[in-house]
Amino acid sequence: MASKPNSSGRSDDRRIAVLLLALPLGLLAATLIVPMISAINISLRDIRVIGSDGPFAGFDNYARVLTDGTFWHALGISVVWVVGNAVVQTILALTAALVLNEKFPGVRVARVWIILTWIIPTVVVVIIWRWLLSPSGGMVNPLLIQLGIIDRPMGFFASGPAAMTSLILINSWRWFPFVAIMLLAGLQRIPNDIYEAAAVDGAGAVARFRAITWPLLQPTLLVLTVMGTLLSFNVFDIIWLLTAGGPAGGTETLPVLIYETAFKAYRMGDAAAMSVVASVLMIGLALVLLDRLAPKETGR
Amino acid sequence: MKRGPLSWLVLALAVFALAFVVLAPMWLVGTSSFKLPREIINRVPTWFPHSFTLQHYQKLLQTSAFPTYFLNSVLVAASSAFVTVILALMAGYAFFRLEFRGRDFLYRLIMVAYAFPSIVILIPIYLMFAKVGLIDTDLALVLVNVTFALPFSIWMMRTFFASLPRELEEAAAIDGAGRWKTVVHVLIPLLRPGIAAIAIFAFVASWTEYLFASVLIISDAKRTLPVGLSGIIGQYQIDWGLLLAGASLSVLPVIVFFAFVGRWFVAGLTEGAVK
Repeated sequence: MASKPNSSGRSDDRRIAVLLLALPLGLLAATLIVPMISAINISLRDIRVIGSDGPFAGFDNYARVLTDGTFWHALGISVVWVVGNAVVQTILALTAALVLNEKFPGVRVARVWIILTWIIPTVVVVIIWRWLLSPSGGMVNPLLIQLGIIDRPMGFFASGPAAMTSLILINSWRWFPFVAIMLLAGLQRIPNDIYEAAAVDGAGAVARFRAITWPLLQPTLLVLTVMGTLLSFNVFDIIWLLTAGGPAGGTETLPVLIYETAFKAYRMGDAAAMSVVASVLMIGLALVLLDRLAPKETGR
Repeated sequence: MKRGPLSWLVLALAVFALAFVVLAPMWLVGTSSFKLPREIINRVPTWFPHSFTLQHYQKLLQTSAFPTYFLNSVLVAASSAFVTVILALMAGYAFFRLEFRGRDFLYRLIMVAYAFPSIVILIPIYLMFAKVGLIDTDLALVLVNVTFALPFSIWMMRTFFASLPRELEEAAAIDGAGRWKTVVHVLIPLLRPGIAAIAIFAFVASWTEYLFASVLIISDAKRTLPVGLSGIIGQYQIDWGLLLAGASLSVLPVIVFFAFVGRWFVAGLTEGAVK
């Protein structure tokens, strides 16, 4: 933010700022901050009936949740989910961004419409891929057989690992264009003359990528890694609608477990305790990532 | 830099692969929604339809609740987009045009909102809304959608405010236009690309939202598209034709909307590309 001293009176600015920010900040406080505090309160209570406050239970919910294997199992699944998505999306998005950074006929249109998979509703993503991967009429099995990758139709959601792989690929399909657009912005901030100088010095495309593109893209990648981790941890609908956490809990990430605990088993206190632990973990992870990866940024 | 034929070939293949990954699934779904049922579930799928029928669309529009879901979604998404734009403009002006103590702190605080898993606030919001009677109302969904779209919208506003020289507003002020007049006649017209970007973002986010809509809405008549459509998945014994038609029609509004203002949205996303 440019903080040029304004010629108009500051006291005036302050009064107007309060007026303007009252509504937006008030809404965010009411729908984000109050619920977060309330989540902590709920996690300390034993709520049996919806709408009643329930007696104070101290850390009982936390103790029960943290000693139960399902929480740790779901946390493990969430780690696989987040890491898998980060790897697949980074590779796909970087490739796409490098392509879109080139000049070719139609590139301007491509830079806008690549994001198509991100603007369609997740439930449509679910319908698309359930059908494409289904044994009846789905295109993916015949295509893979034609390409010689598999020799007979496979069940993409038949086992835990298969279902997890399918889910990661589907979610990455939805998100990689978004990441690619952000990476493209990072690529375009790299001055062109550096590449030209390197080319004059005889550096090939691969050498240029390793010496210029990759290091200069680090700040953008860092922000996207942190953002992507938080976003993919949060993903619920794709998993819920495709596998509902199955088969046999093989894709039951923490958000799925929390949802089931709260709205299928109606154990609000336990679910709130789990979500509080999850937030602490996520915020901690974001801080660690920023701290660990940030020093590279100084090379900018 | 000059490009050799090999380099062109690699680029062409990469562009084709990219287009295929993004567009092939859409093409298959869109065209298959016009195929006869037996062609849709054929063991050997077809890239180009061999048959043509409107029966899936007929069934969708006449015998399913799809039209209701669709209208509900339009109402909720349009209201959410409208409210988000107004609030983001207010906050944007305060953050990027005014000087006051605690400005940077408040701005960062808003951005931190995304660090919290949305599932955390789902339970308290549900209990809170149950107490004040907001469960099963469109207002509940609008409130939630605006909450999730607002921080990112304010962040996008930053680019668009930064692209406008303050001199313009100062010139208007010298000409004797008051602050309010300057905003309405100078600033808002120039901010149109930013407004478009935020509107599409908030619209798309609401159009897609499933989790809160599945919990906060109870009656079938008030369901939005994502929840309604997912209900159709389970309700019928996988009627793919119906689902593919539903999927195609659900994508249509965002594509039309995006065709008009998509480039501003991408510009807002990438910062600085605005001219």
